[in-house]
Amino acid sequence: MTSSPHAQRAAAGRGRISVPAWAWAITLIALFGLYLIAQDNGQVLQSLGETAHEFFHDARHSLGMPCH
Amino acid sequence: MTAVLDRPDTERVPRFGQLFGRIVLAGVIAGALAGAFSLLVTGRAIAPALELEEARAAAEGAGHEHGEELFTRSEQMFGGFLGTVLAGVVLAVLFAAVYGAVRHRLPGRTDFARVMLLAAVGFGVLALLPALKIPANPPAVGDPATVDTRTAIYGGTLLCGVVGVMLVAALVSWLRSRGTGIPTTAVAATLAIGVLLAMVLVFVPDNPDTIAADVPAAVVWDFRLASLGQLAVLWAGIGLAGGWLLDRFTRRPAAS
Ligand SMILES: [Zn+2]
Repeated sequence: MTSSPHAQRAAAGRGRISVPAWAWAITLIALFGLYLIAQDNGQVLQSLGETAHEFFHDARHSLGMPCH
Repeated sequence: MTAVLDRPDTERVPRFGQLFGRIVLAGVIAGALAGAFSLLVTGRAIAPALELEEARAAAEGAGHEHGEELFTRSEQMFGGFLGTVLAGVVLAVLFAAVYGAVRHRLPGRTDFARVMLLAAVGFGVLALLPALKIPANPPAVGDPATVDTRTAIYGGTLLCGVVGVMLVAALVSWLRSRGTGIPTTAVAATLAIGVLLAMVLVFVPDNPDTIAADVPAAVVWDFRLASLGQLAVLWAGIGLAGGWLLDRFTRRPAAS
């Protein structure tokens, strides 16, 4: 054993994770998707949004998002 | 057998892909649990509000309120389950990216402890804070004419919460870098959270709606509790399942 377990742990446990750009891109797409199905009042999706709104209506209310 | 919160003998840094897969799986599990809560509790708390809406529509004659004919009640209940699962996945994707970015700065000796901490912050900022500022309402309560204003208040509250967490985190790391002890830092951070919370509650505009006189207080109260419970299940699920999965992985020594 060349270095103490403590030092190894400090080096490994506290190392940085590099978050790739795709992760942030997927995050933005996912959040926008959630907005579309839950929060869109017809501004973006028009009548399809109305259908999605009605289907996910319980989720929209129960997750605390403003609605009618 | 090592306890969950103790320091592992070897701990490796996960690659982002390894972290992402485990956290998103936790999001599916948490979403399914919160979705089950929706079917068993929140969906039932919504039912009296829907009956009230129907009664109103019947009283007005040709009521067209919210297209009840589009989906049956059981289809809407299923939509509530599915929407909650989707929300769990979306929040887990966000959680994975943020956790990857801040893991090395989070206190806590294990990935389980760090994931639980970040999940608690997520619940506080994205569930509890809006529940205090603009509490969830069942159907039949909101005024359709004010939905854009209420959406802006909701979004603005979330944004204030995210900025507030970054301010508190900056304060904590500044104090720690000056060698301030943990008790003093904890007191300062708690005071800062209190001041920021009070500012959001005072300066962000209130919900413009008044609750109509024909809506019983119990209907609103039961629904708000159920909604908060559902969000608590969701975030506890992300924290527990994500922390458990990730901790198991990072404890295992890397294959050499
Ligand atoms: Zn609604």
